[in-house]
Amino acid sequence: MLQKKVMSGTAGLSRRSVLKAGAAGLITGVAGAVPFARTALAAEPIKIGVLLSKSGTYAVQGEQGYNGAAIAAADVGEVLGRPVQLVWLDENGPQTTQQNMMRLIQQEKVVAVQGGISSGDILAIMPVAEREKILLMATGPNATEITGAKCGRYTFRVDTPNYATTRSVYPELAKNGKNWYFLYASYAWGIDGFNQMSGLLKDDGGKVVGADQTPLGTTDYSSFILKLVASKPDAVFLGLGGSDLTNFLKQFHQMGLTGKIPISALSCNDTDLWSAGTESATGIYPKIWNYTGSQNTEISKAFVKSYQAKHGTPPEAEAWQDWFGTTAILTAIKETNSTDSSKLVEFLEGHKFDGYKAGSMHFRPWDHQLIQPTLVAKVKEKITDKYDYFDIVSEVPGKGQTLDDLFGSQSESECKMPTSL
Amino acid sequence: MLDTMLIASQLMNGLVLGFLYVLIAVGMSIIFGMLGLVNFAHGAFFALGAYFALSLSPYLGFAGALVAAPLLVGLIGLIVERTLLRPLYDKEPLLGLVLTFGLALFIQELIRTIWGSMGHPFDTPSMFSGFLQMGPVFVTQYRLAVLVITIVILIAVWVFLEKTPYGRIVRAGSRDPDMVSMLGINLKRVFTFIFGLGCLLAGAAGVLAAPLWSVVPTMAEQAIMPAFVVVVIGGLGSLRGAVVAGLMVGIAVAMTIQFWSVASSSVMYVLMIIVLLLFPRGLFGERWERFE
Repeated sequence: MLQKKVMSGTAGLSRRSVLKAGAAGLITGVAGAVPFARTALAAEPIKIGVLLSKSGTYAVQGEQGYNGAAIAAADVGEVLGRPVQLVWLDENGPQTTQQNMMRLIQQEKVVAVQGGISSGDILAIMPVAEREKILLMATGPNATEITGAKCGRYTFRVDTPNYATTRSVYPELAKNGKNWYFLYASYAWGIDGFNQMSGLLKDDGGKVVGADQTPLGTTDYSSFILKLVASKPDAVFLGLGGSDLTNFLKQFHQMGLTGKIPISALSCNDTDLWSAGTESATGIYPKIWNYTGSQNTEISKAFVKSYQAKHGTPPEAEAWQDWFGTTAILTAIKETNSTDSSKLVEFLEGHKFDGYKAGSMHFRPWDHQLIQPTLVAKVKEKITDKYDYFDIVSEVPGKGQTLDDLFGSQSESECKMPTSL
Repeated sequence: MLDTMLIASQLMNGLVLGFLYVLIAVGMSIIFGMLGLVNFAHGAFFALGAYFALSLSPYLGFAGALVAAPLLVGLIGLIVERTLLRPLYDKEPLLGLVLTFGLALFIQELIRTIWGSMGHPFDTPSMFSGFLQMGPVFVTQYRLAVLVITIVILIAVWVFLEKTPYGRIVRAGSRDPDMVSMLGINLKRVFTFIFGLGCLLAGAAGVLAAPLWSVVPTMAEQAIMPAFVVVVIGGLGSLRGAVVAGLMVGIAVAMTIQFWSVASSSVMYVLMIIVLLLFPRGLFGERWERFE
């Protein structure tokens, strides 16, 4: 309607019409940042849909993830005698992502969809996966309910839930004292992470001295940092990711606080720290994977090598997650000799993935969470390499711990997995 | 308990933040005021400023880059106006919008191609590292430097527009282009210059924002919305309005963070709605015959 009005007002230049058109343009601009699809070259390829950010806060991770998936697809080349093709659309807010998911299914006829960095976006497309009966490999989101209260039969999650990441890093951060300040993104992932971590802290006799929610995509944290300092915390726990984390660390450093107040976060992508730079980077983080360290397996190392050869930078965790996600989907297609999602789901529920990490990995059949050893990593005191920022502090679960301690047992889980396919 | 020291500190911080918003918005405001064009590529020129500074500062230092990068962005602005925008002035106003919107996407992809999509570290220039604490007020030296540089830039722009003969032509041309042309003045060249100036200011804001924000191709998106809001609140085309609105937004954001942090990014839109309800032209928007 707005546009119609503008079109009809052709006489002269009306300030009001320009304004209105401006507002309309901004809205469409924010809603969809022109996704593109790779055109099919070979006849009848097997298509896998990829939903990862091309714009906004998580755009950098999005590209790393896609690169990882592309390496997995290229390594396999073809399955069932057909070439593998990835179709990448934007993950840019729940509504856009849902529309793009429908486009992948209806127009592109993909056999499975993978990706997802934002938990909010994944939670929005999980019902679509259930309804359309299509495999959804959620590679990057961390909200606990994805494989908890809101779990679904067609959704599998590669990344670690907040339940696990908070438990892995809590003991290390608690060494600094038990008065904590929390700053977290005001959507599913950040809120769930705050609930998990503040729960652990309180159960251990600690105190939340301050807690603030920040909207995703906040650029200026100076006012938050003033509040943070005023609350005199022993440690700061962040639920920020992507460029939000970068912005926070840069501004934290400018205020002369780096190294003075210990920092940790719900998760950490290397790229966020690379763009903050060696001076601003600080903290101790839960990490699903790190490209250096003795814990890496031969398969993992070969992946690092081919990623570096192709892109000039090492892969970060998001690249590994999507590389593994594509690998898991293609393995399922190959082993079942089928592209029928219901068969793929049954296969994934019973398969063990060996060699990708130190220790066997599998998707738990009752909540579809990938069970795997993870890491706690600390930013080096003195960073000498452009990309090698982390020392591995510990591998979790540690001695005397079980994977159930880390990921939660079935009796604690709120997941009620549907039995029908 | 209300901590008055903290509130004073937040007020000061909001003021400094406000000046950053003013700087981002002022170029957009000038272009709209003179050309009647909402420049959607403003954020992209802002990002270009940051990236040029990234590439130039190893050779010229931060101070050198602060001069050279905006000039380069301004030069690109001149070329864009001359080749792409000029043919559109007497056509449907929507065309200019669509063109600058496309240009914004194009520049963002160009940045991705040249500098890669990954973020680049951009440290605070060493001469401004550190912070000042005077009583309750806690400001980093770099933010203080941004404040001072912004004020200098604003004074320079104001003097140019209000006190020089060329500025008088610009102002007259924006009010009544036909009459100015009839007086024998080449208004086309003036328009080109103004667009270049607006882009230059966007570039300068980008350079100054680089040590504060993530230097990523998508940084354009983070600049365009506050700029647009500030320009609308202040009254389109009003320099004074942009300054007042920028400071208002900065202080509103800081205060919201103090008392109701989750609303900190929506507060500027709420402010915009309230202002537009009370003053439909924005705070200092005047009635211009040409735009009615």
